[in-house]
Amino acid sequence: MRKNIGLKSFAWLVFAFLLIPLLIIVITSFGTNSTIQFPIKGFTFNWYGKVFQNESFMDSFVLSLEVAFIGTLAALIIGVPAAYSLARHKVFGRNWIKSFFLSPTIVPGLVVGYAVYQFVVIQFQFPILQGLMLGHFLICLPYVIRVVGSTIEQLDFSIEEVSWTLGCTKLQTFFKIVIPNITSGIFASFMLAFINSFNNIPVSQFLSGPGVTMLPTSLMNYIEYNYDPSVSALSVVLMLGTIVLMFIIEKTLGLASIS
Amino acid sequence: MTQRRLPYIILAPGMILLILFLVLPLISIIFPTFFDGGFTFANYISFFKDEYNLGIFWRTLRVSLIATLVCVLLGVPTAYYISQSPKKWRGLLMSITLFPLLTNSVVRSFAWITILGQGGIINTALMNFGIISKPLTLLYTEFSIIIGSVYLFLPLMVITLVGILENIDSEMMEAAETLGANRFIAFMKVILPLSVPGIIVGSILVFTGSMTAYTTPQLLGGNRNIMLATFLYQNATALGNWKGASVIALIMIAATVIVMKLFDWVAKRMDKRGEASA
Amino acid sequence: MSYVELKDIRVSYDNKTDILKDLNLSIEKGELVSLLGPSGCGKTTTLRVIAGLIQPNDGEFLVDRHNLTKVPVHKREFGMVFQSYALFPHLTIKENVAFGLKLRKEKKSVIDQKVKDILAITGLEELGDRYPKQLSGGQRQRVALARALVIEPKLLLLDEPLSNLDAKLRIAMRIEIKRIQSQLGITSVFVTHDQEECFSISDKVAVMNKGVIEQFDTPEEIYKNPKTEFVARFIGFENFFDLTLIEKGKYKAVDGTIFLSTRQWEEEKKTGTIRPDDIEIVSEAGDANTVSGTIKVRTFLGKSYQYEVETSIGTLLVNEVDDVIYQVGDTITLSIPSHKLIIV
Repeated sequence: MRKNIGLKSFAWLVFAFLLIPLLIIVITSFGTNSTIQFPIKGFTFNWYGKVFQNESFMDSFVLSLEVAFIGTLAALIIGVPAAYSLARHKVFGRNWIKSFFLSPTIVPGLVVGYAVYQFVVIQFQFPILQGLMLGHFLICLPYVIRVVGSTIEQLDFSIEEVSWTLGCTKLQTFFKIVIPNITSGIFASFMLAFINSFNNIPVSQFLSGPGVTMLPTSLMNYIEYNYDPSVSALSVVLMLGTIVLMFIIEKTLGLASIS
Repeated sequence: MTQRRLPYIILAPGMILLILFLVLPLISIIFPTFFDGGFTFANYISFFKDEYNLGIFWRTLRVSLIATLVCVLLGVPTAYYISQSPKKWRGLLMSITLFPLLTNSVVRSFAWITILGQGGIINTALMNFGIISKPLTLLYTEFSIIIGSVYLFLPLMVITLVGILENIDSEMMEAAETLGANRFIAFMKVILPLSVPGIIVGSILVFTGSMTAYTTPQLLGGNRNIMLATFLYQNATALGNWKGASVIALIMIAATVIVMKLFDWVAKRMDKRGEASA
Repeated sequence: MSYVELKDIRVSYDNKTDILKDLNLSIEKGELVSLLGPSGCGKTTTLRVIAGLIQPNDGEFLVDRHNLTKVPVHKREFGMVFQSYALFPHLTIKENVAFGLKLRKEKKSVIDQKVKDILAITGLEELGDRYPKQLSGGQRQRVALARALVIEPKLLLLDEPLSNLDAKLRIAMRIEIKRIQSQLGITSVFVTHDQEECFSISDKVAVMNKGVIEQFDTPEEIYKNPKTEFVARFIGFENFFDLTLIEKGKYKAVDGTIFLSTRQWEEEKKTGTIRPDDIEIVSEAGDANTVSGTIKVRTFLGKSYQYEVETSIGTLLVNEVDDVIYQVGDTITLSIPSHKLIIV
């Protein structure tokens, strides 16, 4: 009923600022010229073909999926029980321990990668791939602790007490009562950690070597020497992936749960 | 006994992994920067004595500060608009905001290369209209890093603020209006002061994010506009100066922590109203 | 012409269903008028139209002969007390109260004096430097009132201001509001769903239902002579039975019993209603206005018992002080006095 034209136009200019650059990438991915042009001349899907034929893109894509998946999974296995313990048990120095678990967010990603590379890969001669997975585990852990932790805090403690009175052990209660009731939190933290790990550059920057290059790094290296629409095409493929993920999140949890 | 030990057994694996693979590695890179025969600050003193290094340090702070300010200016009205829009629209507007955030930062920086480059959209358009005769240098400047950083972090600012603004009672704005404030004044005098906690949280995210970002300065900054993160990488790889890289690593961590503490302190001071004796 | 006039106000959010249907209301200067009704009846919408927070789709709104329909909220100079109080948490009590005055660019000395005076009137002298968080519910309520009053509004609007207070405080505050309102002689509109609160405070009451005003009268008149079944139900008439008109003041019930009513009547109205308190239990049936029935349920209400009696004209609720206590299953005769029987 009461509208504010000034505010509305300002906000839509900002939305345009957020969306138009990405829209331009989409358009340029269909250009026939061998360098990126806007507006485009001609129309072709060839660049998409090129992306899927590019082995280094495809290899690094698979690697990125693997690393993000393993890093997130490890963070869940370690993080969910830890988050439960921090929320429910009387732990000495709880706040301190919690901030310790969240500390990977304070250390800049590039520094995390650099430190892991120096210590784990150079000093202790771990394979780079293991260092890479460790680095990604580190950046995934805070998401699990934070999101799952707040889900557990919102869970009514008395349902666990009821379970004990009915004869469940604490371990059984954890798996039969707690876990089923925090699946949304686990799923949300999984999505968040996975997306961030998959998109992350700084941590992987040092932790790459022959045959061990994550997709964003691979794309970045490609951009430094090439300026052809296959970059746009790959970007569009990644954006489609984002849209699919957003759709899944919206249908299962609602986007509000991860923002 | 086992009952009391249980939580520590559960927490142990995570803590051990963090100590082994985050704390020890950090110590192992930072420790040597303080030793050169004996304990010394020499590495840090010489870092800050060098004009070139100082230039990079100040550029990093400057770029981060400007990016943060721009994010606040663009983010507050936008977040307010989202928080005031009807429920059914809000989801769509949040998706528009979230989409860039969930898109890879390389893709997002790359978009600005195609817009700002010599043969990019802006230069092509300006030359076609005959406004300029030769392309402007927009890319590989501080300006392009700032735009890239704003583009990268504005969604974070907006989303943080929407959360805060949604919780401000809508009657607050109406009360100010019935007392004689037009919407702009009501916003400035009531909504803005109340959203300060959100602005501070958002600013911490944007500022520390811009300060430690690697992708944006790498792709949009070029060789002449190095920031701390790209400088660290350059030291470690191209220059083989491991100690130099470690010095920068500690400076980046320290700057992040100081900025967070500073903003937190400001937030506490601003939010002390009513808490003291309530 | 009255001081405040709402003429044919229509509000609709989707242009299909009307929240307010051609609503008319006139308020005299200095009056305190209540809008009473269940939630969703449109009372708050009416208040928000008056405040300027909602633009009506049709109709006019006038104060003192000036058409304010298109005047924005901040230029109307009305004081409004919100249900949530909407105190500004980042400002002290003094700053909250001074907010409107500062916007009017008054001199600092004038502002200080006015703030001081209104804080004295509302009993808040000691609390000026505190923040809203540090106050109790009743104190916040007073601040909200002071903040609305200090700008010397042409109209004071109160949106369920007492609903967030506990029962005891609610009674104290409504006396307080009435006192301040009549002391300052300020024309006021008060929205509430609580009829006791409404009757005690108002000069006039508009009972609203589904976007229309069903009755606009003094509290006494509404209490004694509800005009419609909705109003009667809302203010505690719990017994309703069908009647057919025989002649003026004379009716016949479904079982043939004759009922006389000395109350106002209109041709088309044919439902009899009476409060449970007004039905009497008598020993003998008379020629008219009596009916017999069996007690189905007995409930102890404290000062009285309530009996649910099944009769030939329908189930009736009767409140009876406990001189004689009847048992469930007893057959009793009820008298419905002709001066208490309302036809709606």
